[in-house]
Amino acid sequence: MKKTTFIEAITEALYEEMERDERVFLIGEDIGIYGGVFKATKGLLDKFGPERVIDSPISEVYIVGGSVGAAMVGMKPVPEIQFADFITPAMDQLIQQAAKMRYRTGGQWTCPLTVRVCCGGDVGGGLYHSQINEQWFFSQPGLIVVMPSTAYDAKGLLKSAIRGDDPVIYFEHKRLYRWIKEDLPEDDFTVPIGKAAVRKEGSDLTIVSYGLMLHRSLQAAENMEKNGISAEVIDMRTLRPWDMETIMESVKKTSHALLIQEGSRTGGVMAEISASITEKVFDYLDAPVTRLCGLDVPAIPFAPPMEHFFLPNSDKIVSAATKLMEY
Amino acid sequence: MSAKSVVKKIIPNKTGLPEDILLGLYISLVKTRTTDERLRKLFRQGRFAGTYFSAVGQEATTVGPTFGLRKEDIIAPSHREIGAAITKGIPLEKIFAQVYARSNSPDKGKSHPCHYGDRELGVIHPSSTVASQSIVGTGCAMAFQLQKKDNVVLGFFGEGGTSRGGWHEALNFAGIHKLPIVYICQNNLWAESVPSTKQAGIENFSERAKAYGFPGETIDGNDLVLVHKRAYEAVQRARAGDGPTLIECRTYRWYGHSEIDPADYRSPDEIEHWKKKDPVIRHEKILMELGILTVEKRAAIIEDINQEIEEAIKVCETMKYVDPEEAYNDVYSEAFPVRREEDTDD
Ligand SMILES: Cc1ncc(C[n+]2csc(CCOP(=O)(O)OP(=O)(O)O)c2C)c(N)n1
Repeated sequence: MKKTTFIEAITEALYEEMERDERVFLIGEDIGIYGGVFKATKGLLDKFGPERVIDSPISEVYIVGGSVGAAMVGMKPVPEIQFADFITPAMDQLIQQAAKMRYRTGGQWTCPLTVRVCCGGDVGGGLYHSQINEQWFFSQPGLIVVMPSTAYDAKGLLKSAIRGDDPVIYFEHKRLYRWIKEDLPEDDFTVPIGKAAVRKEGSDLTIVSYGLMLHRSLQAAENMEKNGISAEVIDMRTLRPWDMETIMESVKKTSHALLIQEGSRTGGVMAEISASITEKVFDYLDAPVTRLCGLDVPAIPFAPPMEHFFLPNSDKIVSAATKLMEY
Repeated sequence: MSAKSVVKKIIPNKTGLPEDILLGLYISLVKTRTTDERLRKLFRQGRFAGTYFSAVGQEATTVGPTFGLRKEDIIAPSHREIGAAITKGIPLEKIFAQVYARSNSPDKGKSHPCHYGDRELGVIHPSSTVASQSIVGTGCAMAFQLQKKDNVVLGFFGEGGTSRGGWHEALNFAGIHKLPIVYICQNNLWAESVPSTKQAGIENFSERAKAYGFPGETIDGNDLVLVHKRAYEAVQRARAGDGPTLIECRTYRWYGHSEIDPADYRSPDEIEHWKKKDPVIRHEKILMELGILTVEKRAAIIEDINQEIEEAIKVCETMKYVDPEEAYNDVYSEAFPVRREEDTDD
């Protein structure tokens, strides 16, 4: 066991998968000699050479579309989108090609690729370096959407994504890169796609979250203990296909659901979770399902107090939980 | 000092530009340089948040084309165009307000320290997706043509930005319709850590204009006189209805991509080589030789600029941040106020 940061876990997963399978290659902006703007691909160019660690021009359409093509004929591409904010040019390739390849060809052609996307706020990045847009992909059947919150999952989910047979969008929250440190096993391990994790058990209320917000939720749950509220905290980990069973079982037990999401409210992941809870386990609920989300504005604004105002945090979660329990 | 050493030999003006323009260009150039260097320091001192993209070394590529434009002409910048913002007339007070994101910030604290813009002055506030403003800038040019106005658009981007598909779509359209736009590519040889040789399979990015049916040329981007003259001619052609031009200005950014980038992917020799081609020193030398500038006059100009800068900093640093509630404004027109997060369960 050794302490590994979230970002090191990603680098290790890439390294190990490239060693394990020579079909795996990386393509993206500044990933080679620079090792990525956050250093997620540090050292990989030296180890695997420029043919497998490709510094691309500023061409997101090609980074993704070219990866789709390579995947169709037997490669295992891991393209990197430097910031989630800049994935927009690649939407055509993600939605029209990657998500529909298997479906439109009657299962003849597939494109197993893992698009790594650096996302998220609370880093002072401003309107164009803090975006968290998993909801766009969440609503697209044919894509798998993953967002780890621990170093263990960062490594294990990335490995599962690369080894899998489907197109995966793998969101990395940049606030977690160097903040999260864990002891990781030396041996090879994977984390299954599609399974949530109960991070803290509790009996009064279920908090569902993922990414950075999972950590805010855990902090809030700890603070709530002092007020006598016992919260169960669920980390979704995979957003699509999401683990309905784990969430429903928990809500049946606690009869209260609080859903926390960093991105803006309308049409977000938690809107779907909320609707499903109401549909499936309505009879168990003691209070309306409640969401706490980022503001419903175009993106996380720059000025530091405004960014703080935008984002859910543990204090806001505690007050939402308290209000919910008082219902 | 003897009288002899003070009286310098004045040579004839062969620049092709009148004295007032040569001096005006100089003032914009040093204003840009001085402000940029000061902003770098302020960022390093932690006096504003976010990040900072310095354009030191490549100022001539933005000052030259912008100088002499009309107020109605539009600048469509990317992230390294402080020189265009200043030259188009955005006062330093507003530049600093943008950077500091305090309550006087032109974008109300929303966007990014380096996203300078001003509707009145025809400067589009940039988005970060590189070269995007060249696309919407082309749309502005299309509208000017429809409106039968003789306004012109300047689209700025780095050589890296030319790798985006959308950039090619815009140039293609501009070529078909002979739109009044001049595209200025600041080829500073590096897009973050990626060298221009890995950005394109051709050496001169200006050659791309050929594919879209309009002229393109590659010029020394650190020669302010040349950049201004070439861009001005292209602007005149665009204004007259003769269509777009792509000008690739070869230049160099002295420092990192942003202030947190050590830029150790470049060799010290390369940096030294380019520092010797400093556009400020080159232009200064011309003005001194022509007798337009003296050591004293230069000192006075810089003194004025520094004073303006210090005043702007003082104003910003005594100001509060934008009110966080401002986050809810400017999502839509007033017809559609945004529901506040805490009101959603009422
Ligand atoms: C669409 C898009 N992809 C990636 C980025 C990240 N990024 C910001 S600046 C930059 C390099 C830009 O190079 P260039 O266009 O040559 O301009 P320079 O920075 O050299 O002035 C990159 C990759 C971005 N801003 N937008």
